[in-house]
Amino acid sequence: MRDIKTVVVLGANGTMGSQCAGIIAAFGGAKVIMVARNIDKAKVGLERAMEAVRSDVIRDRLTPATYEDLQRHIPESDWVLEMVAEDYQAKEAVNALISRYHKPGTLVSTVSSGLSIERLSKTFDEDGRKHYFGTHFYNPPYKMPLCELVSHSGSDPSIEKELEEYLHKKLLRSVVRTADTPAFAGNRVGFQLMNEVAQFAERYSNLGGIALMDHIMGTFTGRAMPPLVTVDMVGLDIHKAIVDNLYQNTNDEAKQTFVLPQFIQHLINLGKLGTKSGEGLYKTVRYADGRKERLVYDITSQTYIKIPELRLPFAAEAKRRIALADYRGVLRVICEDGSEEARLCRYFLARYLSYAFSIIGEVIDTRDCIDSVMGFGFNWAPPSAYVDLLGGVDRAVRLIESARLPVPPALTAAGTGTRFYRLQDCLDARSFFRVK
Amino acid sequence: MSNAVYILGGAQTDFQRNWTKEGKNFLSMMVEVMEDAFESVKMSYEDLRPLNTRNAVGVFVGNFDAEHYANQGHLGGFLTEVDASFYGIPSARYEAACASGSVAIDAAATKIRAGELDLAIVLGIEIMKTVSARTGADFLGTAAYYELEAKGVEFPFPRLFGQLADVLLKRYRLDETRFMSNLAEIAAINYGNAKRNPKAQTRGWYMSREHANHRNTRFNVNVGGMLCATDCSQVTDGAAVVMLASPQFAQEYSIKRRIPIQDIPLLKGWGHRVAPMRFVRKMEESETATHILPWTRQAILDAYRRAGTTIESIDFIETHDCFTSSEYATISAFGITEPGLEYTAIESGLIAFGGKKPVNPSGGLIGVGHPVGASGVRMMLDLYRQVTNSAGNYQVAGARNGAMLNIGGSATTNFAFVVGLA
Repeated sequence: MRDIKTVVVLGANGTMGSQCAGIIAAFGGAKVIMVARNIDKAKVGLERAMEAVRSDVIRDRLTPATYEDLQRHIPESDWVLEMVAEDYQAKEAVNALISRYHKPGTLVSTVSSGLSIERLSKTFDEDGRKHYFGTHFYNPPYKMPLCELVSHSGSDPSIEKELEEYLHKKLLRSVVRTADTPAFAGNRVGFQLMNEVAQFAERYSNLGGIALMDHIMGTFTGRAMPPLVTVDMVGLDIHKAIVDNLYQNTNDEAKQTFVLPQFIQHLINLGKLGTKSGEGLYKTVRYADGRKERLVYDITSQTYIKIPELRLPFAAEAKRRIALADYRGVLRVICEDGSEEARLCRYFLARYLSYAFSIIGEVIDTRDCIDSVMGFGFNWAPPSAYVDLLGGVDRAVRLIESARLPVPPALTAAGTGTRFYRLQDCLDARSFFRVK
Repeated sequence: MSNAVYILGGAQTDFQRNWTKEGKNFLSMMVEVMEDAFESVKMSYEDLRPLNTRNAVGVFVGNFDAEHYANQGHLGGFLTEVDASFYGIPSARYEAACASGSVAIDAAATKIRAGELDLAIVLGIEIMKTVSARTGADFLGTAAYYELEAKGVEFPFPRLFGQLADVLLKRYRLDETRFMSNLAEIAAINYGNAKRNPKAQTRGWYMSREHANHRNTRFNVNVGGMLCATDCSQVTDGAAVVMLASPQFAQEYSIKRRIPIQDIPLLKGWGHRVAPMRFVRKMEESETATHILPWTRQAILDAYRRAGTTIESIDFIETHDCFTSSEYATISAFGITEPGLEYTAIESGLIAFGGKKPVNPSGGLIGVGHPVGASGVRMMLDLYRQVTNSAGNYQVAGARNGAMLNIGGSATTNFAFVVGLA
């Protein structure tokens, strides 16, 4: 395993940067230089790092710094972890700075949610490229252990192995190697579903829109948060960047599902970017009497309205079964209910399975990889777990065929074993099916 | 002559889960853990029918306080809600505070030894995250003498085990800094071991000896006496099951599953002693004794005697580290060291995962978590896993015999078991 004693974290003041710094200082025991645009921001990051790992014994290992200090810090570092803004211009400018100062043998990695690692590596010389990787941590990293590790044509496989070991054994990451394809594995599958749900919200805007779709795909379908609540948390601008990238750079049968719905673009134009700007797809209002109320964006009227009380009998029955730990029963209800809402729910689940298994071979190696990614990175029930809950591969195939979606070869090639999902001992899929 | 008691296997829930957040309750937990336990021994609920017809199967539920935490008593009856196959099967709830799981095991094993049952299913279960930490601490106070030891006290048990730390320090004339550092090492070992255990509540949490020793700070607040948050076990939702069997049933099981009978572990010995209810009485009684917790020591000696063994033949231990001070005191109770010399086992690495007498390879109550009524059963399951070489990343190499200690209250109820291969 690689010996990493000093790490420079670029962009260390946000949730991702500060928590990564905390994790590296705490679990890795390394000295971390926390770089932000100004020293005050870096100091805020330092406090956040300690709060993230709930310990202040790492304080002595954390040093706040600014970009003006790079000349001093980069030459003495073993790893430079860059997480500046998600665009080529910003990252390439920072890479140019890093490449100017870094000594041979220093690891450099980027936290990107889906840019080309190959392209980003071009700023470095041959030794720099050997040591350059994508390390896609998920937010917030102290709670979400996934790290997608991405290499490129110039990276050294033996160094990649050392980094993988370090991330896994020292930093306790669930590491999944992915190909250098747009949005890697997690965001490709996750944002496919979230964006298509958003497209349906637009299509069904007169019938309940955002609220309806989040109700249909609520936590009872196997996720910690409904899909459009997640989009709001991620930020509409980030969502747009990811789906635009996927639309422009992928060409599979799901391509059209990456087209950003117009209402999201409209909200972005208004600066309503989601939770971080106080309003987006949802909004919480505080009244003078101290009462709080959560509102949802109504696509048709372009205003925020009370979240409608939607009564979906199939969802209520599914929740009742979750409370009884009857998870197969949940899937039976979804599959057998005759309502239009249940049909939509079936369609989305079919899409999730169809698309998740379709990237095996192109982006990741095995179904265990996509199961890890969706469970540890998104807090969604892993696709293979649905196969078992549906009653096996044949039933999963039937669900996908009924939705008129492509049946991925990786699903049918697996054959019919007793249990399709293989990670039950370390990732309990049942925990993702929630009533609340 | 009494029957031998075999252990066929079992299961536990992921102690990281918060069932209330998931919108689930103790029944959901019971359903899941039972399904997993039956799968682990490759049995189905259908297999219960012939046993039930002969009245040869029973269920023993260890639970401390579902009345408070879940507003529900009579948990023995709830197996009938898990599956109709449990209709008619004798089932009852057993309670002895944090040793509830062990009294359930003891009742189950006794029925098998007496030849009354062929299969005894022991379920330990507790759902604790239904209330705030403060309210939960008050519920736990009923495991002490509530009127005298817990009423009006914010965190009664941290205070009682803080007093145990005070007594250890004073009676053994220990250096305080060194003693507190030893307690920090106990915490760090347990958290460290839990990192290898995929069902441990704290497997993703940061901990180090340095942090555990950094007491009375904003991230390591004082909870009682000299003890701080890092000295405590966790508030946990969780359940565990072990399946105990008679020699005849184990023999049939062995043939059906093509497992040599000598590879199925035996419950070799048990010890059960009850000390004075009040902590102050315990300390008065032990003032002239060799051990600070003499009845804890005696329960372990009883288990060794019935198993025909001594500490020398025990390969690993699962102990009741509800607090670092309790684990410290039990080091000598197990006979790993003489009383007063516990620190030598900590400082030499003897009880570390790679040491000669690893204690809590699972992570213990501090690392794995402490769903009160389930902990005894979880420990027994871990003894089973270790001696059958099925503990995965936390396997102790070559483990053939293990011992456990599960205590209730301030070491009032003391239960020890020895499990091993023939």
